[in-house]
Amino acid sequence: MNCNELREHYELYAIGVAEEPERSEIRAHLNRQCEVCMQGIKRAREVVALLGGTVPPAVPSAALRRRILASVAVEQRRFGWAPFLAAAFAMALFAAVYFGGRERDLANELARVREQNSRQTIELTAVNQAFAILTGADTTVTTFGEGQANPKGKVFVSPSQGVLLIAGNLQPAPPGKAYEMWIVKSGKAKAAGMFQSAPDGSAMHMQRGSVENTDAVAVTLENQAGADQPTSTPLFAAPIRALIQ
Amino acid sequence: MMIPLLMAVHAAEDDTSLVARMQRRDPNALAELYDRYGRVTFSLIVRVVRDAGIAEDLVQETFLRVWNRVHGFDAQKGSIGPWLLAVARNRAIDYLRSAAGRQRQSREFEETDLPALYCDMEKDILSSHKARRVKSAVEKLSPNQRHVIELAYFEGLSQTEIAERMGQPLGTVKTWVRAALKNLRDELGAVVPA
Ligand SMILES: [Zn+2]
Repeated sequence: MNCNELREHYELYAIGVAEEPERSEIRAHLNRQCEVCMQGIKRAREVVALLGGTVPPAVPSAALRRRILASVAVEQRRFGWAPFLAAAFAMALFAAVYFGGRERDLANELARVREQNSRQTIELTAVNQAFAILTGADTTVTTFGEGQANPKGKVFVSPSQGVLLIAGNLQPAPPGKAYEMWIVKSGKAKAAGMFQSAPDGSAMHMQRGSVENTDAVAVTLENQAGADQPTSTPLFAAPIRALIQ
Repeated sequence: MMIPLLMAVHAAEDDTSLVARMQRRDPNALAELYDRYGRVTFSLIVRVVRDAGIAEDLVQETFLRVWNRVHGFDAQKGSIGPWLLAVARNRAIDYLRSAAGRQRQSREFEETDLPALYCDMEKDILSSHKARRVKSAVEKLSPNQRHVIELAYFEGLSQTEIAERMGQPLGTVKTWVRAALKNLRDELGAVVPA
């Protein structure tokens, strides 16, 4: 179809109710960078975007801001924390992973680190959140990849607070790629954030928020932008649900 | 009654540098983005999912998604607000549809593959003046026109689903949808210059 025939459908498309064949046609025009349709859709989107600003105001909890910043801080750098803090924390974590899995020692170490550092607001939030997951009353620990050369580590799942993944032997992702964590529930994988591993193959990733009824936590290698569904075979998957039951 | 929440949102005059800083992975830029758009994002999502706890999870997903995909954004042109709201709306509607057991629609394409399409928007598109104009434009719609637009925008229903929900023939619904969008376009013509 030509642009003129699509003109009447720009707004329908922008609000999400365009029907076939116009919907696919508009997509095709946008895909080939059709100037006319791009201009038209931009304009239609402006009208639609304005609708979003007419809702009754509501105020999120103050904790949400911290939560969002903390989840980015964790994803952003290797651990998201000041280097010395990361080092202390990492040592405790990997000790727990590789030397007998004493979560209690780990929690104690973490508590110490937390007390020592009260200045780094964002970073401390990340530590606090990791701490909350590690020590949650409902937290379960799953060890994966034991005795293998492949990635191994532990997954801490607190249904009420989130997932903390600690892994070793995870070689740094190729350029343009990153690891993506998935929370598997009822056969469906939900994206749970991107992360990178350190040159030594260690990695840590945390996803905050309720993760009720998690069946498994898995990791795949994806393009850096992330995927909405896994596009490759998981490097590892830690079954969670079976453990709880 | 609809209140123009965006009146509370600052004019987005320095969105450009904000986007550039996010692209350099400056976490403080994300904090500023949240301070600027966190409330309106939350308000939009709550309006869709009607549960504050779920809405907060979805706000988090929204900001992380924008953070992870901000590289596709043209910082020279960009007003990031409308893109953020589109991502927020899509997250919320996806949630609503999966919770209701309805098929998810493939919205990802519009939102993530072509963030550049959100870039040319006027920088102050979310300003209070415009919010007022939009509010009055929406209020001028007939009740049926307003209803179909709300079902499409806030619930993500297709025209067929809207017809089912309202117990009206599909042809009638299509007429209302088109008329509503045309009226909005005409009313907002001055707000959104070509
Ligand atoms: Zn075209």
